[in-house]
Amino acid sequence: MNDLIGQVFNAIGALLADLEAWLSPYLPGQSKVALLAFGFYVLLLLGGGLTAILARNLVRATLGLIITFLGVAGFYLLLASPFLAMMQLLIYIGAVCVLIFFAIMLTKNTSDGEEASLPRLANLIYAFLAGLAPLVVAGPLIVQGTKDIVTRQPVDSGTNLGEGLLSIDLLSFELISIILLVAMAGAVYLAWRPSGGEERA
Amino acid sequence: MSPLTLFLLASLILLALGLVGLITRRTLVGMLISVELMLNGAGLSIVAAAKTSSLTGLLDIHGQLAALFVMGLAAAEATLVLAMVLVVQRRFGRITMDSVSTIKGSNCESH
Repeated sequence: MNDLIGQVFNAIGALLADLEAWLSPYLPGQSKVALLAFGFYVLLLLGGGLTAILARNLVRATLGLIITFLGVAGFYLLLASPFLAMMQLLIYIGAVCVLIFFAIMLTKNTSDGEEASLPRLANLIYAFLAGLAPLVVAGPLIVQGTKDIVTRQPVDSGTNLGEGLLSIDLLSFELISIILLVAMAGAVYLAWRPSGGEERA
Repeated sequence: MSPLTLFLLASLILLALGLVGLITRRTLVGMLISVELMLNGAGLSIVAAAKTSSLTGLLDIHGQLAALFVMGLAAAEATLVLAMVLVVQRRFGRITMDSVSTIKGSNCESH
C-alpha cells in the first residue's frame, strides 16, 4: 500500500517536472508550479464569478460565490498570507455566505422567484459595457505601471499580525469592534417584530 | 509580466464581474452577492500591492491588516443588508429593487 502511494507521488512529481520543462521556454523567470496554481485559481474565480452573477437561482449564485471565495483564498496562499486565507474561509464562506443563505431562505426566494428570467437584452449589454469600463481604463494602467515591480514575499506568521493590530492599527481595531457592535444592534433593531403587536413603521 | 500585475488583473476581473452583477440583478440578495464579489477584489488588490515596498512604501503587515478590516466591514455590511432585506420583504412583500420606490411620508400607496 505504501509502495503504491509512493509510486503515485513519484508519478505526480515526474508529471510536474515534465510540465515545468515544457513550459519553461514560454515563461522565463517564473515559478511554473506557482503559475499553474495561479491559473487554477483564476479558473475558479471566473467560473464562480460568472455563476454568481448569471445564475437564475439565487442558491446557485451563492454557491458560485463560495467557489470565487475559494479562489481568492488560494490567491492569498500564493501571496504568502496563510492567515488571511484562513480568515477568508472562516469569515466569507463561514459567515457571509451563511447569512446570504439565510436571506434567501427567509424571503422564500425560490427558483421561480424574481430572478427567474434573464434581464432584457439591452440591460445586459449596458451592464457588460459598464463592467468593461474598469477593465479598459485600469487594465492598461496596471500593466504599464507594475511592469518592473519585483515582489518580495516574506511569510508572515500570525504573531506579527497580532502585534500590528495592537500597535500600528490599534485605532482601526477598536473602531471596527464598535462598527461590528453597532451593525449587530442595528440589525436586531431593524428585524425585531414585537410578538403580537403591529410592526414598527 | 510581474506577479503583481497578474494579481491586480485578477482583482480587476472581480471588480468588473461584481459591477455587471450589481446592474443586472433585480433582487436585493442578488445585489448583495455582487457587492461581496467587489469587496473580495478590493481585499486582494490591497494585499497584493502591499507586498511591494517600492510601490507603496508600506510594510507587508499593513496590507494584510487592511484586508482583515475589509473582511470585518463586509461581515458587518452583510448583517445589516440581511436585516434590510427582511424589512423590505415584510413591508412590500417582494425584495426587488423597484418595489422599494416609496419613502415614508410620500403619498404614493405602497405595493
